[in-house]
Amino acid sequence: MQNNWLIVMALPMVVMAVPGFAMEYLAIEQAQQLIFSDGDVFVEHLVKLSDADKDQIKAISGKKQRWDEQRIWRVQKQEQHLGWFIVDNVVGKHEFITYGVGISPTGHVVGVEVMTYRETHGDEVREQAWREHFTNKTVNDAFKLNDDIPNITGATLSARNLTDGVKRLLALHQAVLSDE
Amino acid sequence: MSQKLRISTLLIPLLISTSVIADESLLGRVKGSETLLQGAFELDQTFTYRDDKGSGNYESFNSKTELEYGVTNKLTASGYIKMQAIDTSGLWVDGYIPGPEKYSLKASGVEGSLKYNFLSPALDDFGLSGYVSLAYDWLDPHSGKDKDTTTLELQLLTQKYFMDGQIIWMGNAGIETTYAKRAAIANLPDGFEWPTDPEMEIGLMAGTGVSYRFTENWFIGAEVIYETEFETEVGQERYSWYAGPSLHYGGQNFWATLTWLPQIYGGGEQFSAQDDMDLHLIEKTKQEYMVKFGIDF
Repeated sequence: MQNNWLIVMALPMVVMAVPGFAMEYLAIEQAQQLIFSDGDVFVEHLVKLSDADKDQIKAISGKKQRWDEQRIWRVQKQEQHLGWFIVDNVVGKHEFITYGVGISPTGHVVGVEVMTYRETHGDEVREQAWREHFTNKTVNDAFKLNDDIPNITGATLSARNLTDGVKRLLALHQAVLSDE
Repeated sequence: MSQKLRISTLLIPLLISTSVIADESLLGRVKGSETLLQGAFELDQTFTYRDDKGSGNYESFNSKTELEYGVTNKLTASGYIKMQAIDTSGLWVDGYIPGPEKYSLKASGVEGSLKYNFLSPALDDFGLSGYVSLAYDWLDPHSGKDKDTTTLELQLLTQKYFMDGQIIWMGNAGIETTYAKRAAIANLPDGFEWPTDPEMEIGLMAGTGVSYRFTENWFIGAEVIYETEFETEVGQERYSWYAGPSLHYGGQNFWATLTWLPQIYGGGEQFSAQDDMDLHLIEKTKQEYMVKFGIDF
């Protein structure tokens, strides 16, 4: 009996080997244009963060900076500095969520775009109505789910981590970009 | 065997073609505190293979099919159909296992449960749910013989996220009360005890486990479970510690969990023929293998 039943039990696990499909909604260039429609120059910087930088980001935002490097674009309209575009990943329930945040030179959120989202529930994180709650916020705002940012039922972890992520990027701006 | 293969083969395209999931099991036995969304259905299937009582031959295969429904975002109701197959020989345990038994998978019980979420692990930083289930079984999971059992179980389920949810800790604590009555068996050996009077038991359980998402969609976990049972005649009838790993896949199409749970220590009532006196092997086995998978719709 043993071999037969163990084979039967193992068969459904074969399905696990079927790869999921990544739902990429926006390429980086598309997200940049949606947030900074006036921008005509996007200059990429790969910012390397020291331990001291990461400590400072955590001190400002209360959120841990996971990555040692961050892809950041300086956005200009001719000679005018419009702000910064930062690409980041946060933990979703099963996979990372990739998103981009536009930050003005004064540290205000210009816009948030979700570029890759692969979770079952919570497509509302991509909807403008939810993302607009971040617009004009600064690192001094609360960024508290169900308070100044509405929760998304069924995708609470994704909503929380995106909310924390935007605040962390504002802290990163304050720590390493505001002087540039 | 060919029928089993056919059933499994039919399940695979069903699993691939449907879209997913909320209240998934990251571990084998320890439950998380999350509930289904209001109006969502989820179909879960658990297969458990239990073997080895340290004497003779003992194998049991249990199937538990569960349909969950999100009554509200905080309350999930579930109904279960349970089935059992058993193959035991060369094993006599006075009062518990009255000789050989062998049959293939057949219905063994039904169950209903409610799970209410008080605190959300993502929203409140700490997840807490209450869980109650009522089960009626007509086959004894140990001997495989006819035995009517009614069980009421209450549990508290806790959950906490670490590293933004990449590590998930879960803890369960519960109590169950059981009322059982065995059917009489003819032609038992002289002096073999097989009481048919109703029996009442109280069981306690506590479990904790951690699951870590080591790469996208894949989680590795481990859990430890303590179970004990008390009854009037002998006091503490049994206790067992189980500990083992789980591998979990959660994705857009479905989730599945593979668990190995060996009994690492146990005691209480024992029988003289068992080959390991550091385990409880009358009502438990040396190990359990579990496969769970779920789809929602």
